[in-house]
Amino acid sequence: MNKIKIALGIAWAFVCLLIIIILFPGLTGLSRAMAALPFMKINPRYTGGEEAFIKPADACTLVVRKPVFDGLWKERKTGFVQIDWRGDIPENISDTIDYDQDGAPDFTVRINTKTDNSELIPVSTSVKDIDVSTPTSYGWALRVNLKKHY
Amino acid sequence: MDNTLTAKPAGKSLGKALLYTLPMFLITFVFITGGRLSFTDPAEVLAIFLVFLGMNVLYFLMHYTGETDKFRAVLFIIFAVSLSFTLIKNIVDMRSSMSFSQADIVECRIPFCHLVIPMMIIPAAFTKSIIFPGTILGNFANISSMIVLWLAATIVLGRGFCSWGCFYGGWDDGFSRLRKKPVIRKISDTWKWMPFAVLFMVALTAALTLVPTYCDWICPFKAVTEFEQVTNVESAVKAGVFISLFGGLVVVLPAMTRKRTQCSFLCPLGAINTVSNKVTPFIIKIDKTACSECLKCVAACPLFALTPEGVKAGTVSVFCSKCGKCVDVCENKAIHFGIKGIPPGTMKNFTRNLFLFVSFLFIAVFSAGSIVFTVKSILDFVI
Amino acid sequence: MIDSFILGLSSGSACLVTCGMVMFPYLMAEASSVKKIAIDLSVFLITRLLVYFILATVAWYFGQSVFSSDLLRNYVPGILYIAFAVMLIWYSLDKNRKKDCPASFISKIDNKKLIPLFLGIVNTLGFCPALLIILTKSATQGSLMKSWISFLAFFAGSTLWFFPVPLAGKIRKKQVIVTIGILATGIAGAIFIIKGVIILTGGIING
Repeated sequence: MNKIKIALGIAWAFVCLLIIIILFPGLTGLSRAMAALPFMKINPRYTGGEEAFIKPADACTLVVRKPVFDGLWKERKTGFVQIDWRGDIPENISDTIDYDQDGAPDFTVRINTKTDNSELIPVSTSVKDIDVSTPTSYGWALRVNLKKHY
Repeated sequence: MDNTLTAKPAGKSLGKALLYTLPMFLITFVFITGGRLSFTDPAEVLAIFLVFLGMNVLYFLMHYTGETDKFRAVLFIIFAVSLSFTLIKNIVDMRSSMSFSQADIVECRIPFCHLVIPMMIIPAAFTKSIIFPGTILGNFANISSMIVLWLAATIVLGRGFCSWGCFYGGWDDGFSRLRKKPVIRKISDTWKWMPFAVLFMVALTAALTLVPTYCDWICPFKAVTEFEQVTNVESAVKAGVFISLFGGLVVVLPAMTRKRTQCSFLCPLGAINTVSNKVTPFIIKIDKTACSECLKCVAACPLFALTPEGVKAGTVSVFCSKCGKCVDVCENKAIHFGIKGIPPGTMKNFTRNLFLFVSFLFIAVFSAGSIVFTVKSILDFVI
Repeated sequence: MIDSFILGLSSGSACLVTCGMVMFPYLMAEASSVKKIAIDLSVFLITRLLVYFILATVAWYFGQSVFSSDLLRNYVPGILYIAFAVMLIWYSLDKNRKKDCPASFISKIDNKKLIPLFLGIVNTLGFCPALLIILTKSATQGSLMKSWISFLAFFAGSTLWFFPVPLAGKIRKKQVIVTIGILATGIAGAIFIIKGVIILTGGIING
């Protein structure tokens, strides 16, 4: 019994040695395999949600994303919607957004991209306030806090 | 109890030590250089050569002197400092500041570190997503490769990751060596369970809020990497928290106690790695027939893994990170590196050699990138 | 709601250690079957829930009358959070905690069937620091419903600790689990200190 335990212990130790030897040369492949697992995607609360629709606007493009209400096991009462302006953004942005495409405008936003001042005029009662309004590498991103009405 | 190192372990002869170093020499050459050297940048070549040589000298000295901890600590501390330097330099070059902005979060450009892992698990199970604004693949410190590296290291080394892999632990380790003797000697054993309480709370709060709360509020190592821009009261309080924790748990307390207090009292990943100590084949063993119960090992242990009762019973707790400090301090060679299944006091050289090869190889290759970058930056500055 | 749940979950262990060792011998001594234990435990928990709802109502109405001015609303909750949270941390670290359990008088009750009821009332009205924090929170809620929800979340968190107690004999290393739980209580205290500092600092900056 003792000899079996010793043999198993040493065998497991050598397997560990192999793991370390393979690890670094195989890191790219192993990372790709890890990335393919179902849970390996960034939560929409960080990515901003999927793109819902795109609207051309002068020299830039307006990308409206789907509202994000994700919670741990069910949707939360509060969330946000992200709007991206991509491309050559003007100094003053002024847009009225209908994020749920129900034909009724939800809010108007005015952004001075030079001074970073942002103003939100809610139209829909679901719209609360601005969470984030920031220049990005692609243009500008705005996240507006929303609340659900039942 | 005096926890300064006094014993002189028996090492190998020069020839044997060189022979044991040879495999490490060859493998690290291949892994660090990718098998081929580019001679376009002389500073880079010199940096690679210096790092490669330095690492192998440390490994050689481990075999030649028979001591482990102080040579491990040299590499471990240099790794921590060089990684912080690399991160800070890259971040400042990109953003002109150590702080990250809302844009970095919105564009998911935050480098991932393994400390996020405890908070990811429950949300990943429920939402099938990662609650961190990073990149899955590509880019520096992407989520996928960091998880793979941690997973492999923790299976192989168990909590040994905390002394042979964690690029933050070197800060704690370094400051714990500043004084020759501790100012605070008596610390209640209860505190070593604190990381589990922290793990419980951060896992729970992260799951409920879908925010990595340890990173957001607590992580002391934001002081030496990057942190959220201070734009309001909440972010100012967060800055106060992490600066206080870094000052207290990483600098002051380790210096006063000669213990790794951040790792012992706060780190939630250390708590998870403690569990993985059950998986790894490598373990520290006590040969009760040789042990004189002088308890120098208990005083020396930086992570509260040894207790007088445990030593008398011949057991080392799951808190052990296999740093080698207790092994080096034992005058009777009663405490040694071992492998599960092999009785204590037997095959000591074999088990030590195998463990050292595995653990040193990991830290050498894992740390090489940032150390080479740091050395190259110094050379560019000097030359 | 989340912080109320976390406060209940993390302080429940200290509560269990303080009073559990007094209460449960009475609960278990009278119980002759699993069904009886479940009934006694249910009575105990329902009583706790009812008392919490009463406390939530009283706290909210009290808050409405006391925190009527912005000045009080901006400063007092922050100060109270910090003070009670410091008490909570001390409470979790205090080695003499067991002497403070108010439930020890139940040995004098003749009708043993009423013991779970009395235990539920006494356990709830112990006014431990965690309860003081949740009372402060309830008093500052915008509506009575939110006050009830805070207490419900607190109750849910603290109740989880009581469920495994009938199986306590079978759980190994329970002292380690209880130690971790008590340390978690201290962390919950730290969370509320930070919360209090943010409220107070925000109040000072906003005038």
